[in-house]
Amino acid sequence: MEGKHRDIKQEIEQKLNDDILRQALARFAEAYPQSRAKAYENVADIEALRDSVKQMKEHTVANLEAIVDQFEAEAQKRGAKVFRAATGDELKQYLINLCHEKGVKRIVKSKSMASEEIHLNAALEAAGLRVKETDLGEWIISLAGQKPSHMVMPAIHLNRQQVAEYFSQELQQDIQPDIPLMVQVARENLREEFLQADLGITGANFGIAENGAIGLVTNEGNARLVTTLPRIHVVIIGYEKLIPTIKDAAPILRTLPRNATGQCLTSYVSMISGQVPTLVKKDNQWVEANKALHIILLDNGRLKAAKDEKFKQIFQCVRCASCLNVCPVYLLVGGHVYGHIYSGGIGAILTAFLNSQGDFEAINELCIGCRKCTTICPGKIDIPGLIEELRIRSVTENGLPFTIRTVFDNILSNRKVFHSLLRVASLTQKPFKSGEFIRHLPLFLAGLTKDRSLPAIADTPLRDKITNITKKLDNPTKKVAFFSGCNIDFVFPATGESVYKVLQDLNVQVVFPEDQSCCGKPIIGMGDLETTKKIAKRNIKAFEKAEVDYIIAACPSCTETLHATYADILADDPAWAERAKNFTAKVREFSQFVAKQYEQTGRLNKETPGGVKITIHDSCHMKRVLNIHEEPRKLLESTPGYELVEMKDCDKCCGMAGAFGMKYPELSLPLLKQKIQNAKDCGAQVIAIGCPACMMQLRGGVDKQAPEISVKHIADILADTIKK
Amino acid sequence: MIKECPHWNQVLSTANHGSHLFDEFETRATNAAATVYRVKTAIEARETLLQFIKSANVTKVVAVESKLQQAANINEAINTLGITVYTDPHEIALHAESADIGISGVEFGIAESGSVCQDAYTVESRLVSTLPPIHVVFLNSTNIVPGIEDAMNILSKTYDRGYISFITGPSRTADIERVLTVGVHGPSRLIIIAVDEEV
Repeated sequence: MEGKHRDIKQEIEQKLNDDILRQALARFAEAYPQSRAKAYENVADIEALRDSVKQMKEHTVANLEAIVDQFEAEAQKRGAKVFRAATGDELKQYLINLCHEKGVKRIVKSKSMASEEIHLNAALEAAGLRVKETDLGEWIISLAGQKPSHMVMPAIHLNRQQVAEYFSQELQQDIQPDIPLMVQVARENLREEFLQADLGITGANFGIAENGAIGLVTNEGNARLVTTLPRIHVVIIGYEKLIPTIKDAAPILRTLPRNATGQCLTSYVSMISGQVPTLVKKDNQWVEANKALHIILLDNGRLKAAKDEKFKQIFQCVRCASCLNVCPVYLLVGGHVYGHIYSGGIGAILTAFLNSQGDFEAINELCIGCRKCTTICPGKIDIPGLIEELRIRSVTENGLPFTIRTVFDNILSNRKVFHSLLRVASLTQKPFKSGEFIRHLPLFLAGLTKDRSLPAIADTPLRDKITNITKKLDNPTKKVAFFSGCNIDFVFPATGESVYKVLQDLNVQVVFPEDQSCCGKPIIGMGDLETTKKIAKRNIKAFEKAEVDYIIAACPSCTETLHATYADILADDPAWAERAKNFTAKVREFSQFVAKQYEQTGRLNKETPGGVKITIHDSCHMKRVLNIHEEPRKLLESTPGYELVEMKDCDKCCGMAGAFGMKYPELSLPLLKQKIQNAKDCGAQVIAIGCPACMMQLRGGVDKQAPEISVKHIADILADTIKK
Repeated sequence: MIKECPHWNQVLSTANHGSHLFDEFETRATNAAATVYRVKTAIEARETLLQFIKSANVTKVVAVESKLQQAANINEAINTLGITVYTDPHEIALHAESADIGISGVEFGIAESGSVCQDAYTVESRLVSTLPPIHVVFLNSTNIVPGIEDAMNILSKTYDRGYISFITGPSRTADIERVLTVGVHGPSRLIIIAVDEEV
């Protein structure tokens, strides 16, 4: 459980102050989406291609045992020796024995994350063997005595000056920080290693059961040398890399390079099936012989994942690392913080299975659940969903930390207590409050309010205003119940009033079930499934009594939780499954519901452009969970007095991400700052938003950074146009 | 020369392929920093190669023979420039590391990525394509398949055992500051000479 000893907060601070890293990652964040898009320009249907990777891998993991047996048999038929290593230690022992038996002294390696995972090099060196990494990035990292900070670009955190220092130290000569020159120096030094080596170790990007072939996808050409020059070739391949047939390699080859490095294909794809000829020197004569080929299949937690209904998904990973390349947190702190051996979101999940739960827990909170990675992953892995599942399992097994459990048990799962506390908070915050924001929190909270004001709890929650704002309609077309969520109820009740105004203007009768409480999102986000179930049942009960056509929420996170999570977590509960299904079927997100009504009543007309410039911030869960992004735009385009303009990265996380924004303000604030800057750059005077949590974050940001910009919920914008 | 598959052309003839895909192939190969020459005849291919060798300050060549090289007497022609060509596997093993150019044939090209597929079963075919700083390949310009999927479909019919390489441009790295640099461990140049004439 070494991960428990990490001080993540301190590590974050260190990386945030590492200008070399920050600049490298910022440049990369800028360049990556374009280079990926360019590489896909000649792929007709990217979604279909991703589906084919996913389906092929799903099929493989479902038939894994047979495919492993076939791979082994076919490779053996062609002269390979196959060893199944249950653990890293077994693998190391096999390899060290092999080296001793065959008189191996020198080893060259091409890239293998699996060997990093089990700290192979250290074990080989301890056994007296000379081991050289030959991938340039891996070589640099090994000279620096560091771990890779990215799965594809291991040395992305270093600049040329640092690399020149490591080279100078290693080679005992003054190497200038000139990139082509340093590449040449690496070529010359490592060429000698290739020529002298007795044994070459490679990883594998795939292993084909049909003919026992392994595939290597590389750019430098080192894997071709590692597999050609030494007399013995050892392949280290994780079970997740196996595929049934030669044809099945196609979807991997079409996505992996495009997603990883923005290439249609890497410089080299090598496939090796069985023993191939090599030349060995005997009595000073070159003699042709079959090269010894050893394939080591590494388990180390993989087979357990394969049998797990949820985590078998990790077999869909092709290790392109594109999930890191779009991850807002990775792009701030890099893989040394957000990672263990494997980095980023997928890295966190792999860490739990291949390393330890403790190593996972040290970094699990860094996934903000923005779901950006899910839009590009070739295998369509639900990375944030799996991280949440790991949290749930950890809480189920070990419980929550005492203080949090106390809060959840005694406060959040009891609506009356929770709401009374919020009311008390609205009174006790008075000394620190000015206007709508808490400007001066006590000193120990100072870090939280830097560059951002926190909103105050409203004097009167929405639930106390319901009688005043409810209109009795004579002939309503529909009856809906409003699910406000905590933010609208207690922080932004005015937005709740706007929701009422817009819906009633559509001749829709709105009711507010009094017993509704928090949707449970922050609680399941912490992994507390049991409390979430309790809350779900209470909310379902509250809304059943209302007997409505629809349940409307003006918060995408609440909508997601009510719509998807409730049905999911209660599916196995016979008393509740059906009730949950009926409930979730009625849930609608506000802007989607209104856009549809406006369209049906002919109110969705594009007005003549002109007026106040307005831009949209697409909330993560609105866009990537609910798939709602066109409707808010249609609504704004039909709103008189506004001109819709788009800002850069309109769908990138604002940094709020539930409790994340409060717990990691040092990461949240740079994301917020960038968001406000992008809004400024597009000339917007108003930022329109569909999510009250983002609204809390962005209002606090503009309050400090750009007071000329206002942040408004779409409901507020629409309500402003309604007279009365 | 021994190959993984002795009848590539036969298998190709059953697949979607043709010279109409050449322009797309050339664009993608050039994007990947390969140099592409398209010529009509084997003799022209030989002249193109000789021109290139003369301009590139070459003293030593290693080559695995292909039908086209034999048909156009390419090795003899290089010899007339006073440059030694090593073609015997043992000699290739001895000289590939210090040679200036490695020459080999390739089986087909892939339009989607500008790659060439080399049947790299023999060790000498791998040595000439990995160790020298320049790799020259001969390709029949009608042997172009549309995509990577087509290439894998062909392999699924031919590939039983051995070593297959898709080669796309020169060896490259971006491991320092993401600056693209060619020629890290393999060749810094890939020259593709595509010949219309069937040999």
